[in-house]
Amino acid sequence: MIGFFQFFSMTGFFQACIDGLLTGALYALIGMGLALIFGVMRIVNFAHGAFLMVGMYVSWLLFDRFRLNPYVGFLAAGVFLFFFGYLVYLLLIKPIRDRSDFMQILMTTGISLILVDGVQLTFGADYHQTNIELVNHTLRFGPFFVNKAYLLSFVIAAVFIMGLRSFVVRSRTGQALRAIAQNRDVAPLMGINVTRIQGVSFALGIAVAGIAGGLLLPALYLFPTVGEDYTLKAFVIVVLGGMGSIEGAAFGGLVLGVTESLTSRYWGQQWALIVDFVLFLLVLSVKPSGIFGRQRA
Amino acid sequence: MLSADCCEDMSVVLHLENVSKRFGGLRAVKSVSFEMNAGEILFIIGPNGAGKTTVFNLISGFLHPDEGSIIFNGRHISRLAPHRAARLGIGRTFQIVKPLRNLTVLQNVMLGAFMHTGKLNQAQEEAGKIMDFLQMSHLKDFPAHGLPLAALKRLEIARALATKPTLILLDEVVSGLTPGEALALAGLVKRLPEWGVSVVGGVEHVMQVVMKIADRIVVLDYGAKIAEGKPADVVSLPVVIEAYLGAKYKELPK
Amino acid sequence: MTGLRGWKLVILIVVVLASSSLAFAVQNDYQMQVLFRIALFAALGLGWNIVGGYAGQLSLGHVAFFGIGAYSLALLTKHSVPLWVSVLLGAIIATAFAAVIGRIMFRLRGPYFTLSTIAAAEVLRLIATNSPFTEGAIGVATPALFTGRYFWKLFYLSAVTLATLTFLINFWVSQSRFGYYLMAIREDEDTASAVGIDTASYKNRSLLISAFVTALGGSLYASAFQFIIPDNVLTIDISLQMAIITMLGGAGTLLGPVVGAILLLSASELFKNRFKESHLLIYGILIVVVVLFLPEGIVGGIKQLWNWIRKKKAPASAGATTA
Repeated sequence: MIGFFQFFSMTGFFQACIDGLLTGALYALIGMGLALIFGVMRIVNFAHGAFLMVGMYVSWLLFDRFRLNPYVGFLAAGVFLFFFGYLVYLLLIKPIRDRSDFMQILMTTGISLILVDGVQLTFGADYHQTNIELVNHTLRFGPFFVNKAYLLSFVIAAVFIMGLRSFVVRSRTGQALRAIAQNRDVAPLMGINVTRIQGVSFALGIAVAGIAGGLLLPALYLFPTVGEDYTLKAFVIVVLGGMGSIEGAAFGGLVLGVTESLTSRYWGQQWALIVDFVLFLLVLSVKPSGIFGRQRA
Repeated sequence: MLSADCCEDMSVVLHLENVSKRFGGLRAVKSVSFEMNAGEILFIIGPNGAGKTTVFNLISGFLHPDEGSIIFNGRHISRLAPHRAARLGIGRTFQIVKPLRNLTVLQNVMLGAFMHTGKLNQAQEEAGKIMDFLQMSHLKDFPAHGLPLAALKRLEIARALATKPTLILLDEVVSGLTPGEALALAGLVKRLPEWGVSVVGGVEHVMQVVMKIADRIVVLDYGAKIAEGKPADVVSLPVVIEAYLGAKYKELPK
Repeated sequence: MTGLRGWKLVILIVVVLASSSLAFAVQNDYQMQVLFRIALFAALGLGWNIVGGYAGQLSLGHVAFFGIGAYSLALLTKHSVPLWVSVLLGAIIATAFAAVIGRIMFRLRGPYFTLSTIAAAEVLRLIATNSPFTEGAIGVATPALFTGRYFWKLFYLSAVTLATLTFLINFWVSQSRFGYYLMAIREDEDTASAVGIDTASYKNRSLLISAFVTALGGSLYASAFQFIIPDNVLTIDISLQMAIITMLGGAGTLLGPVVGAILLLSASELFKNRFKESHLLIYGILIVVVVLFLPEGIVGGIKQLWNWIRKKKAPASAGATTA
């Protein structure tokens, strides 16, 4: 802590904030995906990070085999995961939709294990790195440095964040989803095909995670268990932002990004994850409904 | 407490004084006051959304009033946790039955009996007696999740009775039953005061039961009390009729 | 102990004696080690069963107690605390930890509770990894509780003892008001409150018992393998294993965790070559299959079949005609 006071500089502080916002946008995307699945549909998806990892692998494969830039390849990851997510929903989630949280947690944990180990068996446990030229370029804004690649993913993420929010709020599917969330028994009477809407929403949540994965690829080392931490982060984000609130999750993602960045800067990177958990436990103890949340936690 | 010779002194067992409860912007219960004496059977009636279940939740500690006070046998119980209210002698059933699904009927009732004994065989005995009274002994070894509604409603009552309450809250205890089932159950409810239990029932529209067994009625509409008195008197009041008919006009048919 | 008489007691004694006799029958050290693990995880599963099976609270952070037991043994003995005292202290520390975090965590319901248990265990792991106090990721040496030729045999017998202890605790729970209260909490917390059960208090109590025995298991494990690192004794894998073997065998039953431990760990050994690389894949598939088709676990499933055969289901007209 002494280091904090000795080396504190405003520039450093704001630089960390900027870095945090850049990562935060991707967190926001991951969080919104889970907010859709967990917040709105109340499906406890412990495999969220694993799906993100799959998205990363899809992007990486396209880059490795076809030289496809991840900043284009992420779309393919999103599409693949959309259909994959829909399939998973139909086969594995729908049958246990009404069972206890306990069962959903176990099921999605099982799915996560299958995905992670499956990927490991197929592609090996080696770390892979994706070298994109863009990552090496930095823009200067006054005293601040902004990595070009991260800025690009920020912009793309922002587009998808707004798109997703629009979709959920304005589109018929989004409205149908919220109708189902409010009263599942009445929804079919209004002509809503519950299975299809929920399947689409689940798939969408997963697809968004895949997109985030694709965008994260240039910034991280790729290995089978890379997604593990992200499941927990995603839940932290959903809790921060408040249950059922897509916008809240976006905000939560940014908050988490900045918090992690500041923690890294002043205490070291290894404490970032601990701070995530502590923040999580704090929010749950103090205001379980989250910052934007409605009543029930 | 649960014995055939009972107290006939007219002490006030339950007293609500200007009780209010809000949920966000919605005022679910507005300054409701009423009193009930030991050994009475009081029914709270009102159209859907009138606040009956909220009142039950307030009395049994599942919710706490924003304003006003609730006094049970001379004690303020407005801020008690539900398990404490139960231990003080307030038993309840739930509108949507909540059986302990993976346990047998006997085990379900034993849970109530456990409030007064730590021993398995004693609890079994007590539970047996209650089930005899409610004529459900033949069901004792069946798992709760397979039972039809009528049996589940009895199970709710049995479990609450096993805790030897002085006041029992029966929320919509006959709704969903056939007329035959409802009247049969009502007959049993009518006998509860013999065992030292005062009854507060909540009913939306099974009026025959109310007329048959209630000593007094309190009518709620949109959270406020609009009438109180003997069944025959209250039911013909214009304000009560309007509450029901008017409400029916606004609601979709069920 | 009421209820544990007659044929039930006889069977228990027979089983315990039979298991113990394996210590003499098996000569291969490696096989003894495998049996040690099976007995240990049976004990851990039975410990988890109290919270996860009877009380129905899905804790996926139980490794926290395991790790506390392990690290307490390692660190206390380093500071000259006698061996067996350290083991006991470790269990007490774990119980104290459970008392503190239980208060916070049990206020949360459903997935939030589970997430908080994972978070708590992970925080411990990260602290252990990054803290000089625990030698970080480098690891700590742990003294062996037994030495000499009969090393693994003695450890195996200790594990069997622990398993028997936890089995007896489970038995007591299943036959007592305490156990009924836990089951009520599992089935419906509101109903439990309505019959006078202080749900928070009972959940906490179940956690305390569970933490104590889990920590004992952790100490035993640490002592047997004589070297611990955070990724070994504070890893979520162990929490998952505890949950899986109990779920697979049948949560909330007496024999479930034992059956689950025997099956899962034996299978793991038998298919060792292929399994070891893809053991997580198999775990995952196993979980999915159990959740989809056998949520009551093997023992639970057998019980249901038994009930169905004896036609215990209520006829549809029950209760309607009585007047």
